[in-house]
Amino acid sequence: MTADASPAFEPHQLDEEEFLREVHSFSFWFEAVEGYLEGRPYGADPELADEPLDGDDRDRLITTLCNYCVGEVTALDASSGLVRLAPNHHSRIFLATQVADEARHVEVFLRRLDDLGVLDGEAEVRARANPRLEEFRRRVLEMVDRGDWEAAVFAQNVLLESMEDTVFRFHASIADPVTRQVLEGVIADERRHLGFGENDLGRRLARDPAGRERLATIRAELDPLVLGSFDGVYRDLGLSRADQPSLGRDYLAAVERLGLTT
Amino acid sequence: MAETDFLSQYSIQRWLEMCPQGYLDDTTYGHESGLTEPEDLLANDDLREASIALTVQLIAGERAALAASSGLVNAAPDHASKAFLATQTLDEARHVEIFTRRLIDLGVKEEDVDSTVNDLANPNLVKFAEVLLEKVGNGDFIAGVVGQNIVLEGMAFSVFELLQATSKDLNPKFAQTLAGTIADERRHVGFGENRIGSLIREHPERKADIERMQAEMSYHMLATFTDVFRGSGPTMDRERQAAAAEGRDLGSAEWHGTDVMAASTDDIEALLAGTVINEFKTRLGRIGIEYQDPKVPA
Amino acid sequence: MSKATDEQTAPAEEQGNRPAAAYESVPGTVQPDEPGDGQAPRRTYELEDTGFREVPKRWRKFYRVWQGPGDSLAPNEIICPVCKVVIRSHREFRPGDRAYCMPCMSRMIVVRMPDGTLGAEVIYQ
Repeated sequence: MTADASPAFEPHQLDEEEFLREVHSFSFWFEAVEGYLEGRPYGADPELADEPLDGDDRDRLITTLCNYCVGEVTALDASSGLVRLAPNHHSRIFLATQVADEARHVEVFLRRLDDLGVLDGEAEVRARANPRLEEFRRRVLEMVDRGDWEAAVFAQNVLLESMEDTVFRFHASIADPVTRQVLEGVIADERRHLGFGENDLGRRLARDPAGRERLATIRAELDPLVLGSFDGVYRDLGLSRADQPSLGRDYLAAVERLGLTT
Repeated sequence: MAETDFLSQYSIQRWLEMCPQGYLDDTTYGHESGLTEPEDLLANDDLREASIALTVQLIAGERAALAASSGLVNAAPDHASKAFLATQTLDEARHVEIFTRRLIDLGVKEEDVDSTVNDLANPNLVKFAEVLLEKVGNGDFIAGVVGQNIVLEGMAFSVFELLQATSKDLNPKFAQTLAGTIADERRHVGFGENRIGSLIREHPERKADIERMQAEMSYHMLATFTDVFRGSGPTMDRERQAAAAEGRDLGSAEWHGTDVMAASTDDIEALLAGTVINEFKTRLGRIGIEYQDPKVPA
Repeated sequence: MSKATDEQTAPAEEQGNRPAAAYESVPGTVQPDEPGDGQAPRRTYELEDTGFREVPKRWRKFYRVWQGPGDSLAPNEIICPVCKVVIRSHREFRPGDRAYCMPCMSRMIVVRMPDGTLGAEVIYQ
């Protein structure tokens, strides 16, 4: 069945192929991002007043944003490398939209660093990068280089994106107004990415249950790197451990749905 | 303009303002909603098959561009270049999508798209792409950008302009689709020249290797033109004769001083090849690379 | 929040909604009521755009942001287990219905949770 123009027609009536074609298309991406980015150059309304931050708060926010940049550059390099590995046309188109999303995230975070008075954003990111996140980056790019689609999609679109989604949502709830708007736009993008990853892997593992064991091993190796580095981000946000929300809850729920628990 | 200022022109933000919120606003698959392929094209099997064959070459070229631009992101030396290549990746994905959609509009079943592209893609165009993708696969940013943004995009730019000129009156849907891709290609060739010019100055030792790649790609490009025009020539001649017999006026379309609606296929091929090569010479000259004639004339 | 209507007292046609029979041609989607299945007819809902902007305009009214504690789900709403967006339908959801989450591209089946509420299980096949 194809999309119907009648007012009572709803997305749940699309047939499955039609649904996947719709949501993986360039046009879908294009109209979706237009909805939440229009009028928000570099992710925030230019009329929005920026709150002055004191020295410590500013410094912690800079460290946090620098590590967001490390995560986003990792996602940019990995998703661009995955385009050539994509198993079909629709996945390729979707990954191309993800490449642009990730580049936009790096751009808006660098712009926010600029707003905070950082003179050379790229150098600051290098200086403040969490070593565990850098190690995670190296491991993910190795997976892409050796053409391991499943491992790379798991590491990037499930593990990294779930962690980022949780952290960004929490940070948005306590952030200054400009950083909050920037994060809201990024969170909207992440929904597509983590959904794509989980659904792609879910379909593959349903056909090849043996693949679960391999991914569960990869997961066990990568978890400490990502969980540890985002734990660091919470500290940088000025929270005591008791105040930290259950960091990995959503990620662990995704892992359970995919049957990757060990 | 300082290089950082120049690179800021290629940001994601600027891309969003220019494309989704600019010339692509209110378009569906690159054209105004409701436009369709002309009835007489769809009713004429000869013409429809020729259009399918042509569209396949566009898809093959755009797939290569998508693989190349995405593959270059990781090799880019700075964030601004990565950001631009990310927008180019998305542009190329859009081109693959809109030309694939055209194939379906021309009657190819969705499940037959890949096999149709594999069967009809010109072998020389495939080799052209392989030369480029080898550089990209090796993480060679300078050669990759020259091959992609100057050679491949330079070729695409002229081919799209020629097709747009011939489609403007006869097929407004296709002409509109091409207009958006031409607008995209302008940015791509602009980035290629501007970004690589400075890198070539810093790495003059890379010139010889890049010139060899350009000669090889040019060879396969010219051979593709020959094959495609040889294949479509008889259809074009038959259509012109039929139009004359029925008293239909196919109109005129001037491109680089020639009425391409009246010119022979040999003349159009020569005009296209000459235009692309002149463009190569000019663009490569500006970045300090000397155009190399292909070793074997195609 | 969507406005509820009851098919028993307010036929869908009168609410400007599509008659239930129109759904029968789409197997495996929002399920029509089986005649004589013993269940009350499903209630239908007029959906309003709640400002969710992460999907193209034509699909926006079918999704909304979960507001957290204090928010509640109407019978035509479920939460996507993957991205936590609220998925909505013109009709009351029942176990076995299929639903799609466009913001995260997931497909799911509506299920009855152990606590008696409606939830969703993601399907990957």
